[in-house]
Amino acid sequence: MIYTRKSPALLIIGLVMLLWGWLNASGNVDGIQQYFQKSAYSDHMKVKEKFDAEFRVASEMAAAESKPAPDMKMPKSKFDEAKSFQSKMCFIFGGLATLLGLLILMCNKPKEGNFDYYMSIFPGMAFILLIAFVVRWGLDPMFANWGKAAQPTLGWNFASIFNLNYVVLGIVIGIIVVNVFKIPGWAANGVRTARFFLKTGVILLGALYSATELAQLGGLSVIMIGIFVLGSVGVVLFMGKRMGANNSMTAVLSAGMGVCGVSATVAAAPVVNAKAAEIAYTIGTILVWGVGCMFLFPTVGHLLNMGPVQFGAWAGTGILNSAQVAGAALAFDPHGIETLKVAEIFNITRVLFLPIIVLWLAAWYVKHEAGAEKVNLGQVLFAKFPMFVLGFILMFILSSMGAFTPAGHYQGKYFSSEQIKEDKLLKGKETKAIEGELARLKDAEGAKQLQAYFTEKAINVGQRHATPEDAYKGLTDLVANKKMSTREQETLLKAVGKMKGLDAVAASAIDKASKAAYHSSKTISAFRDWLAWLFSFGLIGLGMQITMAALKQAGGKPLIIGGVVGTGKAVGSLIVVLLFVKEFI
Amino acid sequence: MKTPLKLLLCHHGTAGAKRAETLALELAAPGVTTIVHCLVVPELWAGMQGDDWLNNASTRDAFGDYVENMLENDAKRELAAVEAHCQERGIAYEAVMRYGDPADVVVQVAIETSVELVVIGSPRIKGEEGLRSRMDLEKLVRRLKCLLLIAPHP
Repeated sequence: MIYTRKSPALLIIGLVMLLWGWLNASGNVDGIQQYFQKSAYSDHMKVKEKFDAEFRVASEMAAAESKPAPDMKMPKSKFDEAKSFQSKMCFIFGGLATLLGLLILMCNKPKEGNFDYYMSIFPGMAFILLIAFVVRWGLDPMFANWGKAAQPTLGWNFASIFNLNYVVLGIVIGIIVVNVFKIPGWAANGVRTARFFLKTGVILLGALYSATELAQLGGLSVIMIGIFVLGSVGVVLFMGKRMGANNSMTAVLSAGMGVCGVSATVAAAPVVNAKAAEIAYTIGTILVWGVGCMFLFPTVGHLLNMGPVQFGAWAGTGILNSAQVAGAALAFDPHGIETLKVAEIFNITRVLFLPIIVLWLAAWYVKHEAGAEKVNLGQVLFAKFPMFVLGFILMFILSSMGAFTPAGHYQGKYFSSEQIKEDKLLKGKETKAIEGELARLKDAEGAKQLQAYFTEKAINVGQRHATPEDAYKGLTDLVANKKMSTREQETLLKAVGKMKGLDAVAASAIDKASKAAYHSSKTISAFRDWLAWLFSFGLIGLGMQITMAALKQAGGKPLIIGGVVGTGKAVGSLIVVLLFVKEFI
Repeated sequence: MKTPLKLLLCHHGTAGAKRAETLALELAAPGVTTIVHCLVVPELWAGMQGDDWLNNASTRDAFGDYVENMLENDAKRELAAVEAHCQERGIAYEAVMRYGDPADVVVQVAIETSVELVVIGSPRIKGEEGLRSRMDLEKLVRRLKCLLLIAPHP
């Protein structure tokens, strides 16, 4: 079979990317970019004003000394960097797409084989990448601007409340493409590579955990997932029996509802001899719940003022389908990866539970279904073991050994005076704002507010609950030293900095002092940037695999059982997270 | 009604399809009519791996093969059952199995096999259990160039 379609699509996509790259590099679209990149443009104007003033002074001084005007270059602003980044991306990927597009058009008779297959994936990959560019550079800032513009009229920011950022928009566009326009034949093979990029993203993510984080999050996820996976599987098996559902349907539904949604259904269906209609009902039900939760969870998370650990733990446990866990985590926190890091640990724990649950269901099915064939336990364990998790572990080990950056980086925080640069220390205005807040928090009303906040967020100092006195000491030390001095102080004050009603300058000063305790390596920063692109690419591609035809199959007993178990899992895990999970690890 | 020489029966095992089969067998005359049995595997199965991304390729392949075999066996069973009913009555039988949008496939097969009449079952009543893969009746009626008969609900 020949996979490569002779189509000009890849060449056209390449040329469109090159054109956008050139328009940016030449400054022809600065007007549009000013609208899209409002904050970067405002930074650009400040840099320009400063530069103009400096140039004027330098020129006047030179003129006074009868010297020629100085040769000065304006420093790059965030706006220039953003445009330059877009140009670079467009030139690299547009150039590649153009070359490969020409090759596909010039190749008269492609031969069957690996070369043909690998060539066939590029048009689809370029298609998703083009959508990712449009979403990240166009739709994301556009919706953010519209949300702000409509806020005075509506009284609320719809883009922020509904999390209309590049992640959600990318998935929605993927769903629209497959259901309204259908995936073009030339793009079909490339769209399937989305899974590969998502897995690559998770593997790279392995480099961003410290051993402490991994141990704490791993422990938490094993407890949460253990309780909720086993609980959901048990409840579905019980309800299925009570409602008179077939054994095969009950088994496949319990895998999907309990472990990791569609992936678990795909893994368990052949083992428990699920029938075609049962698979369709189960996958339809899981997708409906998954997509619904992906929109609902981040909004609820923001309304409840959840932190990254709490939200990551909740989404990682409560959302049925694993793809939507990553989507919800990024939708909740699109410009950081802290929530994604937590959520992915939960996803990995779920997938590690999968072979065990499949074995359990296989045994359950053999026991309850007359004539069912026994399965080879070893074979199931080996076949279902997620190989990409090994890549994740390898990256974590390499990273912990200092393969990407000095080993000290992974401790995350630096507190000695020698390690904090002079310009990172707090300035007079900032310490004054903190002193003002300290005085306010020390009066009766402030102390009450602080205590209520610590209780609500379950914030600890070591093994005990934090008290207002801890905060007073931490803030007093911060004012005295102009920097964070200990890990405990940094953790506590970071939480205080997020408290509602705190003076903006004081909150920003605490944030600044907290960030000064971190040394971020260039390699790790680059990993973070690439991760955002990999997940964006992967989630758009996965969106393209959610068809209305599959969603419509939600129904029958699976929908009833799924509704009960899905709601129970989402609400139950929310309660557990709010009660027992600390906001900051 | 004139006895058709060739009629197309759309049948994929649902209650409506079984009513269409009964009707087609009533209309067909032994030795005169040929029943062309059209079985459509609906497109919804293309999306049935959903957005699975955690599994290894071998697990996904195993699932794909499993679903494909199951659909093929289900289809073969339906084809064999209708063929047996036709043979019992001495009615000539042809089978066509296709994958795609049901209305598109029926229109295409009706043209290819030059049938005079297409017999389908009535759509399932709302709330009745079954896969959501309805025939787009409007599309079918607009594009079909021969007679269309819908077997009613009892």
